[in-house]
Amino acid sequence: MFDTDERLETGSTELVEGTARVVEVTGAVAWLEPEATTSCGGCAASGACGAKGIGTIANRVAARRFPLRDHPELRVGDRVVVGVRGDALVKAALTAYAMPLVTLFLGGGLAQWAWGTDATTIAASVGGLLFGLVLARLGAGRLFASGASAPRFLRRVGQAPQTCQII
Amino acid sequence: MQEYVLLMVGAALVNNVILARFLGLCSFMGVTTRVDTALGMGLATTFVITVSSMLNWAAQHYLLEPFGLGYLRTVVFILMIAAAVQFTEMTVRKVSPPLFQMLGIYLPLITTNCAVLGVALLLIEGRMTFIESTVFAFASSVGYSLVMVIFAGLRERLALAQVPRLFAGPPIGFITASLLALAFMGFSGISTV
Repeated sequence: MFDTDERLETGSTELVEGTARVVEVTGAVAWLEPEATTSCGGCAASGACGAKGIGTIANRVAARRFPLRDHPELRVGDRVVVGVRGDALVKAALTAYAMPLVTLFLGGGLAQWAWGTDATTIAASVGGLLFGLVLARLGAGRLFASGASAPRFLRRVGQAPQTCQII
Repeated sequence: MQEYVLLMVGAALVNNVILARFLGLCSFMGVTTRVDTALGMGLATTFVITVSSMLNWAAQHYLLEPFGLGYLRTVVFILMIAAAVQFTEMTVRKVSPPLFQMLGIYLPLITTNCAVLGVALLLIEGRMTFIESTVFAFASSVGYSLVMVIFAGLRERLALAQVPRLFAGPPIGFITASLLALAFMGFSGISTV
């Protein structure tokens, strides 16, 4: 786990920032939940937002709780800014979404070329999708084995950022 | 093969979801402050649009048409899209919990993205086969992702540029978007799909 100073020393890697709230602290491990956002990015005004309901993630943030180790100074209720490496985010997105789509089209395309009926194409596409998800699982395991793509603590909300990166 | 290529070019560039059909403008302005996040959102949307278009095609041809339930199309499609998003969310969570923590933020946002429903309705109107509709949906979402990434790159540069005070922020963003739309009009005539 890196902290801000280590990142500044080591890296040119830009971080994608997000706001999270500390919901539990056990020893030196703080458990955080990301703050709900809407597609317009107006999370601070989500109480008056018309996009509530099925499109919001407020009811699912608990499922995305994540740990932040070696930060005993954090207290329950603290709002903090965490960062994820931009290149790790892109790699993760490619692994999770692009790989299953490639196998989906391979399966569907081969079935369409061989048989040319909708039913077989659907079956082969679904088979390709499932195979791609298995591949994605393997790829994700390798991607996260190093731990370098885990969220990192940057600062408390309200503190000025220590970098000049674009937010 | 040529018809599939033309279908893809037409859906991605000529009739771009954002710049020609004006769908998905909310995420276009909201999630394009950085290239990384725009690409993440674009890939997630591509996956959901492709999977939900498969579901919607099957629902239209095996449920709505045979039973004369065409008037329920919009409701059924919205349910299918929500189911596709839920499926994707559950799958990513099962496939890799760390991946879900990283990417889960984008998934629920897609449910309210009108581009997903718009593409589903367009492919039904086009009376396409299953493979055509899947290719069309994929190409449309690739066009969506392409514009998102281009616009995010422009906005990253705009953030560092000296812009007149009256135009700073969203106004210069909208002007840039309109110039981008004009640039994409240059693709008109390549394909009529």
